[in-house]
Amino acid sequence: MRKAHTRALALVAGVAALGLLAGCSAPSGPSAPATSKKPVVIDVWGWDAEMTPTVVKAFNASHADVQVNYVLQASNPATVTNFRNVMKSKKGIPCWVPATGPVTTAVVNGWAQDITKYIKPIESKFSAGALAGAKLDGEYYGFPSGPDATFALVNEKVYSDNGIAVPKTWDDLIAAGKQLKPKGITVINLAGEDPSTLIQIEQLAGAKWFAIDGNRWKVNFTDANSLKGADVIQQIVDNGLASHQTYQDRPSLYAYFDSGKLATVPLAWWSLFGYQTNLKASLGSWKAVDFPQLSNSGPFKTPGIANPGIVPVGCKYPAAAVEYQTWVATTAAGIAASKSTKTDAISLPTALKDVSKYTTAIVPDKLIDPAQSKAQVGAVIAKAQSAAIGSFNEGPDYDAWFPELQDQWGKAMAKQITVKQALENVQAFVVQDLKTKGINYTVAK
Amino acid sequence: MSSATKTSEAGPARSATRSTPLPSAGQRPRRRMTWRHVQSLKGASFTWPFVAGFAVFTVLPVLLGLGQSFFTVKTSGLGFSAAQTSFTGFDNFVRALGDETFWASMIRVAIYAAVMVPVTMVVSLTMALLLDAVRRRVANRFRLLLLIPYMIPGIVATMIWLYLYSPNVGPIRPVLALVGLDVNFFAGNMVWIGIGNLVVWGTIGFNMLILYGSLQAVPREVFEAARVDGASEVRIAFAIKVPYVRGTLVLTGLLSIIGTLQIFAEPTLFRTVSPETITKDFTPTMVIYNQAFQVGNLNYAAALSIILALVVGIASAVIYRLANRVDK
Repeated sequence: MRKAHTRALALVAGVAALGLLAGCSAPSGPSAPATSKKPVVIDVWGWDAEMTPTVVKAFNASHADVQVNYVLQASNPATVTNFRNVMKSKKGIPCWVPATGPVTTAVVNGWAQDITKYIKPIESKFSAGALAGAKLDGEYYGFPSGPDATFALVNEKVYSDNGIAVPKTWDDLIAAGKQLKPKGITVINLAGEDPSTLIQIEQLAGAKWFAIDGNRWKVNFTDANSLKGADVIQQIVDNGLASHQTYQDRPSLYAYFDSGKLATVPLAWWSLFGYQTNLKASLGSWKAVDFPQLSNSGPFKTPGIANPGIVPVGCKYPAAAVEYQTWVATTAAGIAASKSTKTDAISLPTALKDVSKYTTAIVPDKLIDPAQSKAQVGAVIAKAQSAAIGSFNEGPDYDAWFPELQDQWGKAMAKQITVKQALENVQAFVVQDLKTKGINYTVAK
Repeated sequence: MSSATKTSEAGPARSATRSTPLPSAGQRPRRRMTWRHVQSLKGASFTWPFVAGFAVFTVLPVLLGLGQSFFTVKTSGLGFSAAQTSFTGFDNFVRALGDETFWASMIRVAIYAAVMVPVTMVVSLTMALLLDAVRRRVANRFRLLLLIPYMIPGIVATMIWLYLYSPNVGPIRPVLALVGLDVNFFAGNMVWIGIGNLVVWGTIGFNMLILYGSLQAVPREVFEAARVDGASEVRIAFAIKVPYVRGTLVLTGLLSIIGTLQIFAEPTLFRTVSPETITKDFTPTMVIYNQAFQVGNLNYAAALSIILALVVGIASAVIYRLANRVDK
């Protein structure tokens, strides 16, 4: 009996020693996957049901060490809500979440993991704008992601039929709008729920709504640059030069775009195929041009904000997540895998230093005026990408103030308030929100 | 003392005398369940699935929400440091009581409910009375047809109506134009009407069904007697049928009030078509959603939720009491 007891003790001790040895010899942390026999499986979230599953399949087929489990979310807002919930519960945390807002917000919320040590060795692959957008206080909290720079589509027929030159500046655009208005044509569409055009012009004007000033945020929605941008929008609204078709009512929106009553559409590269799919009568009438500049604003710039995806705090395999993203964003195989089955177009690798060799492939066949070749359209897109401003600090509470900006923008579009008042109201909201959250701030005078 | 009381006192005593042996000295008397108790427990066991669901999905979240509402999460500096959670008592409730945005949304929805609930009830009752007046086979067909909108999820219904209302591609505007009306349901001043119409369309089926069921329970001989006395069908409807279903009207009215005060899906989707009117804080539930999932203040959102629940509860209790007083 005693002998059996001793044997049992010896067996337990042996197993424990083996366990300890295994624990000592096994590499810890993110490098574990490289030596482990079983591949590391990471959850990757996204709301793209078309291309990403193919990309994930290609990645899994070509990688033995890391396998990706793609968790499809219903939509961008659903992703934000679900992600907020898992971070709160600390259960089921994924290893990758695409950009759901500025990297600052992700850090402030305690969501984004510091991945500097994984990004440093591969910095040379990315554009300066992509790297800047992923950094906060010199550390990488996001995976470098290129800004989707803005250019414009103009209805060539509308401009040429009315003898108006395609606008190169916002002043030109306002002048063109005044000429087109009597003919029932609007020069631009400003959806009442979407203040993105305001943010684009503010970025172009050099507005800095948020800046870090020591240990506090400097909030400034109403400086000269911000008001310069606001004035452009105000002139368009006051003169009734814009339509206000909502993106919620897509059939109506596309019908209006297709009607020949709209002259200019600002867009990013990924919208091109959507327009080709949904427009009919105006196919072949559109021409890609540079995004209008503000008068006397110096070198050519384009708006575009790089909001990087993050590796959430709680993900055990950040190295695996970075390996996956690096393959997707920078390798030939990853970029090729992003080809759409519907449109046959790849996803433009905007994070790369030079995207010119990829831009021709993302131009659809029927949308653009045949007089403008695919290479010419590609050159417009590549130029926009290389001139993208990229950074626009959206502060520590973007999720909170953006819906307020939407509200205020809607009122400004309905002429209930001015754009300047809208900015003042958003600033007041931001101040109150930061105060409630205990975040230090100062309001610039 | 009534005989019933006597019986109830005598029953268990007799039963105990017959079936339970007398305890010996030092032994505690063992109580055995009576047949009635066993039957009662068996009957009650049928409610356990509901009770479990109610406890897990209603009582527990309310308790958790109540607990959350007594705390506040704050950070410091640039906001990059770890957030600190501290017990702040009723601070969130005090803030909520002075939150003009929240109470403005509450008043807005209360006014909307004051219009919408009576309209919904009148339409539902009218339809139920019409169904009750026709032959059962015809009624059955219409009953199913009128219930279909209720089966459609609110979000889907809103998407359908957004298309129908669309000023450029929807069918309603051209039809109204034929009679000389130029109506844009996406205009700020038409949004309430648009949402109201959608809600009536979606809820009358359910209310009508409940009222129709109640009308079917009214004894038919009462109607025959009234007809013999020369009462018209309209007179029968208002003098006999409506008073008979007053209790059901109170029930459906209460359900409508509760649903209306918690309106969320419809204004959230309509926000995009009329953002100058429907702001992110348009209804109490939208304020709560915004605080929880945009601002990120779950504690304050929990306090607002508790207050909304109290307001809905108090409103329901007052209306129920008033309705009962009218009955008496």
